[in-house]
Amino acid sequence: MSKTETVINTLQLPKDVCMGALRVTLTGNREAWIENYRGILEYSDQLILLQAKTCQICFEGNRLSIDYYTNEDMKISGCINCVKYL
Amino acid sequence: MIGLLKYMRGYLRIKVWGFSPERFMNLCSNKDILLWDITRDGDIYYMNISLKSFYKIKGIVRKTGARVAICNRYGLPFFIPTLLKRKVFLFGLFLAVAFWICSSFYIWDIEITGNYQITEDVFDSFLVQQQVRIGMKKDTLDIAELEKEIRRSFSQITWTSAKLNGTKLIIEVKENDAPILEETVEEEGGYDLVAEYDGTIVSMIVRSGVPKVSIGDSVEKGNLLVDGKVPIYNDDTTIRAYNYVRADADILLEHTTSFHATLPFDYVQKEYTGRTEDRYFIRIGENEWKMPENRPFLQYDSVIKTNQPLIFEKLSIPVYLGSYTYREYLNVEYEYTLEQAEALLNEKILTFITELEEKGVQIIEKNVKIDTSGGMWVVDGDFLVRELVGKSVATEKPDMGEQLLNE
Repeated sequence: MSKTETVINTLQLPKDVCMGALRVTLTGNREAWIENYRGILEYSDQLILLQAKTCQICFEGNRLSIDYYTNEDMKISGCINCVKYL
Repeated sequence: MIGLLKYMRGYLRIKVWGFSPERFMNLCSNKDILLWDITRDGDIYYMNISLKSFYKIKGIVRKTGARVAICNRYGLPFFIPTLLKRKVFLFGLFLAVAFWICSSFYIWDIEITGNYQITEDVFDSFLVQQQVRIGMKKDTLDIAELEKEIRRSFSQITWTSAKLNGTKLIIEVKENDAPILEETVEEEGGYDLVAEYDGTIVSMIVRSGVPKVSIGDSVEKGNLLVDGKVPIYNDDTTIRAYNYVRADADILLEHTTSFHATLPFDYVQKEYTGRTEDRYFIRIGENEWKMPENRPFLQYDSVIKTNQPLIFEKLSIPVYLGSYTYREYLNVEYEYTLEQAEALLNEKILTFITELEEKGVQIIEKNVKIDTSGGMWVVDGDFLVRELVGKSVATEKPDMGEQLLNE
């Protein structure tokens, strides 16, 4: 555990804000709501690859589409089969 | 809601292709430009962007080398200019709105509720008299005065309320439920009380008049019970004159009353077979259009359901939709069992007893028997009852009295 993480844990601060961690909310396999990302790296209707601060996240599925896309959050809908961290 | 807002502001469906559309999207989000409904078709991305943001993406497009083209325009900023070009349409729209506003100054429907004794026709002609009619201007109607006039003209109306609901005048009235007591003119001359049945007198309280019978006496129908002429005696106990009064007394008479009812052995009952058929219809005014039909069943009854769509009801347009449901049935003959017959006959007797009790009759004794004769159930009953009697009839004036008075 790194020093920053220890400090954050001790002070009980929200990790997504302080460490810039990715926050993903999945609703079934139909919707995903993502916060704290940097940008899109790749987008097709089978795969969406997003860049976060420390990692990349990959959504695989069918008929994926982006409902909306702003600086803070985005929403993906479609049939999600797999969520991978790279 | 958000969709409506987007529509008001206007938005575009654009397609983006070229070197790196992903980078284009990332830069857009960095500049706080909202993109939505992003889909991909081959190498081309389609997305929605608001009209305002579209003017900001010029720099991004140059930087990324992506190519952008507008596919479709949506929203009011695009719709209104096209609308304004259509002069005749606008003129029509304006006319329609003007007509609509103008017509809302008039009364288009009058609804009367709560009237039972006073018929609609009577009320309508009254309203015509009061210059209240369909098509009149709303502001010429004085509701308070109308309410007063209704109460003044119809004595049986105890409460009234008139209100305007849109273009509809709703008049609610409440009629007096209790019969109106007509002031009876006290006629000259007295009234006697006579018996209505044959029987024995059980109790007697006389308030005015001269009792002619006493407790325990047997009387016949039409016998004089209380005399309406009160004699005034001379000193020598001869009658000088008669004072005529309205005889008033509580006289309880014990008499027998009989009850007779019959019930046939068998009865016919409708048995629904469960087969039904629906026919839908539309009615405009008096005309009705129905789905074409043959006679659906051999024996059937029909249930008609009608409803008026809310919009037509509010606008008082007589357009109705509905359905006929035909239900097939068979006439099945059944025979009453003893229990059923007894139950039915007992019910009849009970109704009779209740009726008596409602009239304030006491039942002292009852003797009921159920029998069969002539192909039906017969019930005969004798009831010994006590009942208040006394029918008012005009007193006969003896000539002698008249003469005496005149003297």
